[in-house]
Amino acid sequence: MAVTKVVMPKLSEAMESGKIIKWLKKEGDRIQGGDILAEIETDKADVEMEAFGAGVLRKILVPAGEPAPIGALIGVIADPGDDIAALLASAPTGAAGAGSDAQKTPLRPEPAPAAPVGAAAAAQQAPRPAGTPPSAPPASVMRPAAVPSALAAAAVTGVTHEPQGGRVKASPLAKKIAAQAGVDLKLIQGTGPGGRIVRRDVEAAGVTVAPTAVAAAVTGPEFEDLPLSQIRAVIARRMPLSKAPVPHFYVTSEVAMDRAWELREQLNTLEGQPKISVNDLVIRACALALLKHPGVNASLQGDAIRVYHRAHIGIAVALDDGLITPVLRDCHAKPLAQIAVEARDLAERARNRKLRAQELSGATFSISNLGMFDVAEFSAIINPPEGAILAVGSVRRVPVVDDSGLGVGRRMAITISCDHRVMDGAMGARFLQDVKRLLEEPLRLLV
Amino acid sequence: MATHKFDVAVVGTGPGGYVAAIRCAQLGLSVATVEDDRPGGVCLNWGCIPTKALLRNAEVVTLLGRAAEFGIRLSGFEANYAEAVQRSRKVADRMAKGVEFLFRKNKITLFPGRGTLTAKNVVEVKGATAAETIEARALILATGSEPKSLPGVAIDEKTVISSNGAVRNERAPRSIAVIGAGAVGVEFADVFAAYGVQVTLVEALPRIVPVEDEEVSKELTRAFTRRGIALKTGVKVASVKPGGAGVVVDLEGEKLEVEQVLMAVGRAARIAGLGLEGIGVQLERGFVKVSPRMETSVKGLYAIGDMAGAPLLAHKAMAEGVVAAEAIAGKSPRPVDYGNVPSCTYCRPQIASIGVTEARARENGREVAVGKFPFTASGKAVALGETEGFIKVIADKATGELLGVHIVGPEATEIIHEFAVGRTLEATLEEIIHTIHAHPTLSEAALEATLAALGQAIHI
Repeated sequence: MAVTKVVMPKLSEAMESGKIIKWLKKEGDRIQGGDILAEIETDKADVEMEAFGAGVLRKILVPAGEPAPIGALIGVIADPGDDIAALLASAPTGAAGAGSDAQKTPLRPEPAPAAPVGAAAAAQQAPRPAGTPPSAPPASVMRPAAVPSALAAAAVTGVTHEPQGGRVKASPLAKKIAAQAGVDLKLIQGTGPGGRIVRRDVEAAGVTVAPTAVAAAVTGPEFEDLPLSQIRAVIARRMPLSKAPVPHFYVTSEVAMDRAWELREQLNTLEGQPKISVNDLVIRACALALLKHPGVNASLQGDAIRVYHRAHIGIAVALDDGLITPVLRDCHAKPLAQIAVEARDLAERARNRKLRAQELSGATFSISNLGMFDVAEFSAIINPPEGAILAVGSVRRVPVVDDSGLGVGRRMAITISCDHRVMDGAMGARFLQDVKRLLEEPLRLLV
Repeated sequence: MATHKFDVAVVGTGPGGYVAAIRCAQLGLSVATVEDDRPGGVCLNWGCIPTKALLRNAEVVTLLGRAAEFGIRLSGFEANYAEAVQRSRKVADRMAKGVEFLFRKNKITLFPGRGTLTAKNVVEVKGATAAETIEARALILATGSEPKSLPGVAIDEKTVISSNGAVRNERAPRSIAVIGAGAVGVEFADVFAAYGVQVTLVEALPRIVPVEDEEVSKELTRAFTRRGIALKTGVKVASVKPGGAGVVVDLEGEKLEVEQVLMAVGRAARIAGLGLEGIGVQLERGFVKVSPRMETSVKGLYAIGDMAGAPLLAHKAMAEGVVAAEAIAGKSPRPVDYGNVPSCTYCRPQIASIGVTEARARENGREVAVGKFPFTASGKAVALGETEGFIKVIADKATGELLGVHIVGPEATEIIHEFAVGRTLEATLEEIIHTIHAHPTLSEAALEATLAALGQAIHI
């Protein structure tokens, strides 16, 4: 008889609010622990949210497209007979406002989401008598007050019924309730047959206002202001927080990649083995070098330096609207083939926004590779609280001079950005030397 | 003893069981059914269908009695009750054969006999001659319900009968006390009264058909009283004992002497001997507890229909059967909306309702708009000579949501579905009034009652 509150989970360290992209379950669906309830857009990626409790998804409080701060009640899982009216009535009225102004919203993490609501829920367990309709929502659920007046006016004049760009599929009752509550049907995801908006959808939407519309793009004759995506907003906010307070220094080295290239080509002719990329070799080399140079695999934590004994490497993946850095854990303990498979999987899911929450945090070091863009060399900004990041350029065919004279060789520039509070130039250089040696004697990567 | 393996085994082939079996077969599953009576269960064989045949007889008898109203002079007629019962048996047989045909058509195997669960996926069937074992990936229990009695009153099916006896007995008593004025009670009261039986209808609650809207009870009270059915409401039965002409019913002071007593005080889940205790199936108030997917507390074991709780209606069982079948087939069925199950009673005038009563709507705190239209103002009803009753529409005042509809009158049980569809589609009063209703029909009264809720009724 437990009632489970579904709250906006904290899915990454920097996350302050999340936006529901899509509910994968609809009200009335039977839920078991571990079912994927919804997809959430966080500051870093789109992640799937799992259910903790079991029962029926009785109520969706925050519809798709709406943001909610961490810990905010976004749904209720309970048995069909449980009375959830009290819980719904107590749902915070200020769930809105989080979307447009997330960084100012204080973090108020709630206790674990599986907390059962006690006596009130259990006591009123009722049988289902003939002819009893689904219980009406408490009055507080439908609250038009917080809606921007323009939207409310539009709804009342019936504009929402025939919006530009197609018909909104909604039941007559849903249309009427929406008009009265001032809810814009265009912003609601329907859960009825064929995505039709039905009463429960509007009632669920009535709980929060529709800030996405406020942030909608404004087109002007001379320029266009594009709204920040969640990812872009976080990058914009966080990068100065790295660059300004973290004193960066940079060390660059050139790696002869001829043997690594050759080895990679040989490895990639092996049948039944995963394809190895240059970046996989770099990841493996860094992982081994990090174990040897824990001073680089370190982070400033207040008045202490935390030195990691495991290499969890963040791999920067470019997206259309920003970049994200999924974490490949325990790289030091993984053979090259495994790194190749897992790194490709992470990158692919990052691009499809299917990363899991735990894959987005906990890196001890990062690698950013712009090799595919024919970049000679570049330097990267450290992603705090990590202590260093390696920027990897393209493998280029360049003229080289060796003992036998002038020839053509493959060279790759790598640049490490280091947090000077954590390490010094020499430490960075020694680390880089080892990375270079590992790549230039690539058989070491295989043992 | 042979063991047979199937994807699904359905125990009980009433309206819940046979629908579940057919839907499973449609979805490509191999299906076994177990039945200790004829396929079709109580509904087809001993309930809904034969009683509808008897009620039709009652209607014809009543109409013949009114022949002069239509300018038809009869020099007397004889209504033979035994033949009415025989006709109802033929109707039931034909429908049961229909289920057998559907089983063959859908390649569903029928195991005659009584099923007992020996494990959560094993049914042992004890037939007349042999015992068989069925092993299935999923089981659907659909064993239905059986009549209840009052404490201390034994049903012997001779002087104290249940609906089981009432549909079988070919001789009508001279007098009968029907205890319980729900759907079963009022339907039999109607049949017996039409055949000249002296009927007393006894109800503990203050009004007959107590779950219906108060105005519906009033209308039926008027109609029954006109037909000479004695009504005793708000009275408790202290005892039912042999004596006098057959049975003496003690109504806490008043003694009622009748030839027979029909107990119609409700039905209980038929689960004894099914083996539920052995596998830990949870019950709730005497019925099997199920999830919205109709799964019991035991995984892979489903229960539908009367045994799975109220409302005890065949069409609710059928809807649950479809949900269970689709859940087993791995689909995600839309759960049964228990708030939108029409309820129908086939006495004259008929009663049909959906949603909440006016009193309940007001208790729920809604500001309501109520529209009512009497059949006396319906041209079609007047032409038919069936002007008893009305349609009453209860809507939410602010949105026009159809909260409840109550119909008492001719073909009420057919008219109700307009509102059932409307509620499923979340139509409001407006959509109903913008739907053109053919003239002249009884359904026009539905339009007029809806208009009345908006203060716009034309014909009244």
